[in-house]
Amino acid sequence: MAKGGDSIHIFQGLLVFGNVVIGMCGIALTAECIFFVTDPHGLYPLLEATENDDIYAAAWIGIFVGFALFALSILGIAGVIKSNRTLLLVYIILMLITYAFEMASCITAATHRDFLTPNLFLKQMLERYQKSETDNNNDKWMIKGVTETWDKLMLQNQCCGVRGPSDWQEYTSAFRIMHSDADFPWPRNCCVMDAQGSPINLDGCKLGIPGYYNSNGCYDAISGPMNTHAWGVAWFGFAILCWTFCVLLGTMFYWSRIEY
Amino acid sequence: VRGCSGVSAPLLHPPWLLTADKLPYTPTLANATLGGLMTASTFVLEQPRCVFTEAQRSAVIWLVVATPTAVDTFDNSVGPGTPKRAFQGFPTSAPAYMTLNTTLLNYPCPKPPGEITVLRVGSETSCAEDERRPTCNGPLPRPGPYRVKFLALEGSKPIAETGWSDPIMLRTAQPFSSIPVMGSRRSAGMIALTSILSILFAILLAGLVALLVFWGSDVCGGSSTFSKSEPVTVRRYNTHHVQDQTAAQL
Repeated sequence: MAKGGDSIHIFQGLLVFGNVVIGMCGIALTAECIFFVTDPHGLYPLLEATENDDIYAAAWIGIFVGFALFALSILGIAGVIKSNRTLLLVYIILMLITYAFEMASCITAATHRDFLTPNLFLKQMLERYQKSETDNNNDKWMIKGVTETWDKLMLQNQCCGVRGPSDWQEYTSAFRIMHSDADFPWPRNCCVMDAQGSPINLDGCKLGIPGYYNSNGCYDAISGPMNTHAWGVAWFGFAILCWTFCVLLGTMFYWSRIEY
Repeated sequence: VRGCSGVSAPLLHPPWLLTADKLPYTPTLANATLGGLMTASTFVLEQPRCVFTEAQRSAVIWLVVATPTAVDTFDNSVGPGTPKRAFQGFPTSAPAYMTLNTTLLNYPCPKPPGEITVLRVGSETSCAEDERRPTCNGPLPRPGPYRVKFLALEGSKPIAETGWSDPIMLRTAQPFSSIPVMGSRRSAGMIALTSILSILFAILLAGLVALLVFWGSDVCGGSSTFSKSEPVTVRRYNTHHVQDQTAAQL
């Protein structure tokens, strides 16, 4: 029976270790999702205007799932050490519910990342940037968000348009309705600015002389943070769920072998 | 417009063949690295450096912009600023217009290396509707095509001209509603993630169901059960047999 005693302790030790890892990963998931939700790059208005901001919903779910995982891991450790059937059954059921929520968060983040293509941002930029007539309050809010975000993006990242300044030439836009093509072949923020915030050479910018205007597109500056966000939520969650799967299976096996 | 300059027999020579020297130069678009080389209403030409000579030193050099159909019947002697050459009437009532007047001083030869010497046709938006400024360099109203040439006028007399350029076609913008926003191009990663997670969740649910069935069926576990954590003590039994055997060996 000594061998049986050892194998109990080893198995208990493994389950406790598994739960400790789950608890720590839960805290990490919460921290990561809080970081994404605070939107350090200021790109949320672009998503809000596309009405496709579900990667933020996935991050919000991730915050609460992380806390739940931490709390449940403590419950699991207590249940394993005490070998209490009731505690462990409650643990298993609550963990399955948390598992389902986290699954939803991962799948949402991964699916909605696929919707964020360059054409989506291009169409929205042409439709809303500096649009003057607004239909309703919601429209006005979105226009304000898109305009301010694009102005900040073009200024901070020294870029212009989604693929380049030619976006403003190849397609009609709300911007083009208000600003003539001869005076504004592209928005002012596409020009290289001096320290005071005015173009260093306005004629050079309008002519398109390299060095006086930003000739590269902003898509990399947009998709980089969004990819990090979506893949961070989706794949880290996936890793946690794989580990949790093993721990839960072990816990179910342990539960079935506890004597009354 | 001044009076006749005294050349005889105007009936024998058509007026536009009168005196203008034909220079061996055709206007070209500027260097292609410029981002704004051609927009929807402007285009950028190379300046005519080292084209006009000292013979045209006191002349005013004009840029002529015309529709291709007006090229063959273009009359050099029609002065700039007249209704048939006013920008505001282009291209309906004026088949060509003249603008960007300057003198040879502004086109010094030789061209300094590394300098960008261009002319932007269509950059003046303030006078585009102003009838009092018929030589306005206003934005072009249509995508074209257009042909241009340079013409040197001394007073009202054309003394030199370049050849006509190739037709220049401007950009036409597509409506932004035509951009295809392809929704769901499902990536391989997403499909793998979804399917693996679903399978794992199904296994866990099956395990839970089995557990509850197992619990409800009141059957004790298999051969090895984990007891509660009381220490297991084994008492040694000293049998008579062992003690007798050791006593017999001694």
